[in-house]
Amino acid sequence: MGMPISHIMASGMTGMRAAGDLVARMQFDKSMRIGEAKDFVAKKLGVSNADLSDEFVMREIREELDIGVITSVPGCAKGIAAKMNIEKLLGIDINCCDKFREITG
Amino acid sequence: MATEYFLRMGDGQKIFMTKEDIRADIEAGSADAADLGEIPAMSENEMDHMLDIITSPGRIVGVEPGLEVPVTHDIGAIRIDGDQGNSGVGIPASRLVGSMVHERAFGADTMELGHIDYSYKPVKPVISHECQTMEVCQQNMIIPMLYGAMPNMGLYYTPDGPFENPGDLMKAFKISEAQDSIFHAAEHGIRDMTWIMQKLQHVGSDGVNFDTIGAAGDGDMYASLNAIEALRKEFPGIYIEAGMAGELVLGMHGELEYDGTVLAGLWPHQQAPLVAKAGANIFGPVCNTNTSRTSAWNLGRSVTFTKAAVEASPIPCHADMGMGVGGIPMLETPPIDAVTRASKAMVEIAGVDGI
Amino acid sequence: MVFPHGCKGGCNTANEELFKTLSDAVVSCKKDDVIAAVGKAKGKAPAVELIDNGLAAGMNEVGVLFERGKLFLPHVMMAADAMSAGVELLQDELGGSEGASSKLGVIVNGTVEGDVHDIGKAIVSTMLQAAGFEVHDIGRDVPVQNFIDKIKETNADMVGLSALMTTTLQGQKEVIELLKENGLRDKVKVMVGGAPATDAWAKKCGADCYAENASEAVAKAKELLL
Repeated sequence: MGMPISHIMASGMTGMRAAGDLVARMQFDKSMRIGEAKDFVAKKLGVSNADLSDEFVMREIREELDIGVITSVPGCAKGIAAKMNIEKLLGIDINCCDKFREITG
Repeated sequence: MATEYFLRMGDGQKIFMTKEDIRADIEAGSADAADLGEIPAMSENEMDHMLDIITSPGRIVGVEPGLEVPVTHDIGAIRIDGDQGNSGVGIPASRLVGSMVHERAFGADTMELGHIDYSYKPVKPVISHECQTMEVCQQNMIIPMLYGAMPNMGLYYTPDGPFENPGDLMKAFKISEAQDSIFHAAEHGIRDMTWIMQKLQHVGSDGVNFDTIGAAGDGDMYASLNAIEALRKEFPGIYIEAGMAGELVLGMHGELEYDGTVLAGLWPHQQAPLVAKAGANIFGPVCNTNTSRTSAWNLGRSVTFTKAAVEASPIPCHADMGMGVGGIPMLETPPIDAVTRASKAMVEIAGVDGI
Repeated sequence: MVFPHGCKGGCNTANEELFKTLSDAVVSCKKDDVIAAVGKAKGKAPAVELIDNGLAAGMNEVGVLFERGKLFLPHVMMAADAMSAGVELLQDELGGSEGASSKLGVIVNGTVEGDVHDIGKAIVSTMLQAAGFEVHDIGRDVPVQNFIDKIKETNADMVGLSALMTTTLQGQKEVIELLKENGLRDKVKVMVGGAPATDAWAKKCGADCYAENASEAVAKAKELLL
């Protein structure tokens, strides 16, 4: 248990606490290297690259864009709803969102 | 008497060394990697930086703000609910709960679903169970969620599988028979891994993590690369992570090729381009920890191999930094001082795109 | 390339060249080349030296090249096969003398009970066999008693215990305990290996040594048995 937490604290972008999930998603979706992925996400969010790991900056942005926040905020988009907003933000298709749309017509 | 700094052996034991001795070990580890891989050793500045990281007075160190990288997770939620006496902590929780704990309590950047055996072959009989769990996870989670397991070609050989054990055949000097057995096992592995991921992609998985590629030698890598190629062809948008088992692809067969390149004997910087060619999005270079050496030697060696892979790779590299790899001690509870130092060195010196 | 000549016995330049030719022939992994090289070398130096400084030195080099990713398991086996053919040709000259033609020692090798990992252990067995040990690989997931039975049956000098999981590491200790109970511990050397094994674990469980990889297993087996 100490290992993943240690890595996240030492080097990680801390996922939904900041913008780690968004940067990781661009690495996977477009095979972007770290610099390119950060540039891409930062531009979409209108922030600096350093802000992508800044909880203070990202907290507000995530709530505004409704792309999922890490704490339990009633009414905020969760699960697939949040991911559909991430699709729009990043201009990508997410597989489970496609399936959701297929099922719901 | 010269000041001594604390660091670790490869098995996690605390030791004390002078700055000069630590620097010498970093240099020796880097030289070993450079010699084996025929790659550049770390520069003087890089070795000095690593020395500063290792001798840093704080218990925990971290990267400079702004240099953070995504941390991708393997072994699924097994570290939460795993209760086999290994690194799992045995908390009775569903895999959804385990995954959400990673997302919301740990701050993980990506997560994966995996089952307790964590090899692809045993997924086949429980594929519906895995698909339903994946659906539930995708409905509730926000960070990228992959399916992960090990190619583990060993399960295709007797007594666990249908093909005669190549190890036994080799010892009996039946070399061509052993090679045939490896090839046939790989063909089955390709079919199984592709079929499993077809099912999981149809229920909304973000993608797949091939974990510990090459654990059973070059046949294992042959199967993985071909499965990656097949999946990329069928699912252009699938997220694919390909993580290795060790720094060297062992030549069990010796003659298997992918895209005209013999797989046996490849080092991380040679593996990366092939993995990208097959269609993976992220490559996971690995360097195993030598438990009889210091963390300085291991980190010097590991960073040298990884840096060369990062430079040669056309796709992002997420260094494998779990128990016993990437300069991390081989211990179920790796000391936090050693983990954070390895983490920082891998980002700031090797320049990895993630961990 | 490192040329690992220990040159036991009287070495001179001519002999050095002879040994190198034999060694290179083994490294080439070609049986015909080894047979031809032995044919030419026979009678020009004592058979024991031709084997120790030539053929066996070549086999050591093959082990090094395997660890460096330059040669692969099939090559190791072809080289071992070629070396055996070379030794066979020198058999008549060996007579009653002790040399590399006699087995280096008998080793029982297996993965402990509960652990199904086979490949690393199989590579170690292959390398030990190729180095000249008589190896009895008893497989994986081996019940503790089976190690003892095989050691007794083969009059083994050493037992190799593999475990790839932290959960099965304890099985190595169980074999060592049973060796003691059977009065065999003083007679049989114990080597442990596998991903979670370490030097510290070897000391803790009462083994004689820990080997990091296949080449080290060969080197340590030689240290303990020769």
